[in-house]
Amino acid sequence: MNAAETPTLSITLLGAGQEVGRSCCVLQYRGKTIVCDAGVHPAFTGMASLPFVDELDWSTVDALLVTHFHLDHAASLTYILEKTNFKDGKGKVYMTHATKAVYKFMMQDFVRMSSSSGDPLFSALELSLTLPLIIPVSAHQQISPCPGVSFIPYHAGHVLGACMFMLDIAGLKILYTGDYSREEDRHLVKAEVPPVRPDVLIVESTYGVQSLEGRPEKEAMFTSEVHAIIRRGGHVLLPVFAMGRAQELLLILDEYWDQHPELHNVPVYYASSLAKKCMAVYQTYIHTMNANIRGRFEKRDNPFVFKYISSLPHSRNWEKKVADGPPCVVLASPGFLHTGASRELLELWAPDSRNGLIITGYSVEGTMARDIMNEPDEITGLRGNTIPRRLSVRYVSFSAHVDYSQNAEFIDLIGAKHIVLVHGEQTAMGRLRGALQSKYKDRDEDVKVHTPRNLETLNLTFRGERVAKAIGS
Amino acid sequence: MSSSVYYKFKSQRQESRVTFDGTGISVFDLKKEVILQNNLKATDIDLLLFDKDEQEYRDDSFIIPRSTSVIAKRMPASRPGKGRAAIYVANLGASDPQSNPQSRAGSSGPASNPATGTGRFGGMSRRFDGKDPKAHS
Ligand SMILES: [Zn+2]
Ligand SMILES: [Zn+2]
Repeated sequence: MNAAETPTLSITLLGAGQEVGRSCCVLQYRGKTIVCDAGVHPAFTGMASLPFVDELDWSTVDALLVTHFHLDHAASLTYILEKTNFKDGKGKVYMTHATKAVYKFMMQDFVRMSSSSGDPLFSALELSLTLPLIIPVSAHQQISPCPGVSFIPYHAGHVLGACMFMLDIAGLKILYTGDYSREEDRHLVKAEVPPVRPDVLIVESTYGVQSLEGRPEKEAMFTSEVHAIIRRGGHVLLPVFAMGRAQELLLILDEYWDQHPELHNVPVYYASSLAKKCMAVYQTYIHTMNANIRGRFEKRDNPFVFKYISSLPHSRNWEKKVADGPPCVVLASPGFLHTGASRELLELWAPDSRNGLIITGYSVEGTMARDIMNEPDEITGLRGNTIPRRLSVRYVSFSAHVDYSQNAEFIDLIGAKHIVLVHGEQTAMGRLRGALQSKYKDRDEDVKVHTPRNLETLNLTFRGERVAKAIGS
Repeated sequence: MSSSVYYKFKSQRQESRVTFDGTGISVFDLKKEVILQNNLKATDIDLLLFDKDEQEYRDDSFIIPRSTSVIAKRMPASRPGKGRAAIYVANLGASDPQSNPQSRAGSSGPASNPATGTGRFGGMSRRFDGKDPKAHS
């Protein structure tokens, strides 16, 4: 067998290489090009937030697969379809039905927000032009975008519609996880372990080697913190992204309020018109959620019709009105507190020590949500003003990513010989790599762990013909 | 009469342009304009410019003749967090709008670049600090 017959898989990260944000992973093997995810970096705006798209001839792409609707995985899709030469080629675009349904609303909101900040990547019209190009798929459905390439989406937990992709490119199998969770929560199923062993696993590493509290502890910490702030006469601010964890928090709060009649006169506001629109999508896709939710729904108890949550009327200056009013709980977006309603409320509530902020998601470096966790005495307002920070700050992670033990267990179950870590900050990723490497060394297993930086192409060679290899021993 | 140089990010379908007075624009000024037009003031990127044959314009003082089309590329900073894109707009705060660097770059040509030979950006920053507006006029 000569060298020319040694096929090479090239993995190039246009984003999410040793960083969290702008996920975009290019896979090239035997003349086929598959791209997984097309996100933006949440700490930047405009073109600076894009993945490094100049590195790829987009007309050569055979398929672009989007794992879920979060902006760091989906928000540069319109740009790629409209502003690059993608459409000169034969590339097809896929996401699940539920992802597509939420994606549309998410992106309309994204366009509105980015045009108001004066740095839009594309227009609402361009967004609407690209929607018909997205082919919706279902979990477990095998799709073949072009000869020699097929993929199957598997549930990834994380958020509604999120999936992993098990790719088969000319016989080589690659699992791309996107963001995933292995903990069954109030509404979603946990990530599945696909029945086939891939040659390469490309896996998120957001939490590195960190351990997160178990579910009951987390919920107890969260609800007792909310209750404590209310008792001392304060306002509770929960910065969240409109879609995703917000729905989980609403389910928890609704249940807690139900069990605590003394709270019934304390309003819980959910300030998001986007979420209101998307709630219909959640109700439509109840069949994809877990047994708990489906069971309640069958008993005509629609869990997404909340008893104790009110949405805020769209009046001007509602932030001020709520801030001046009696104690209440407000879920407001965005989760990173860098702009918008959540930021507005933070600036109004920061000086009063009765108020409390609870961060529930992963906070990207360089955002207010991350900075305020160090409990600074002062914060800088969006108008450049200095605001004293006396409100309490707590962090209870409900972000639906795997922690170290869940990730390590999943990686073991998948059993790939090459593990590529993506979607993690440099240090977190480095620690995870170290932990995994020493584990495989102890077990005397030949498993390679890679942590490529953006545009640092990783070439993996696989000798000879790829044939279905027997799994296990 | 104003002149133009056209640029296109490698992955983009459409060209954009930078206008200036004179017969050419320096690589430095063109980069600065591209960064400003696209709001690329992030610290984690390098901006590279290439000619039609994919040869990089490495010399910031090189003058690109008007009507040229160039290719731009956003790259991750070669040193993380030390992206060079910021260099091109670093002194903007001090520059006054009258001493438009584009027009000077154009009208004065290569000879006007204070090629002092010391420090890579020494000459460049001089042009933005507004202290030497009449040089070589
Ligand atoms: Zn996500
Ligand atoms: Zn993500």
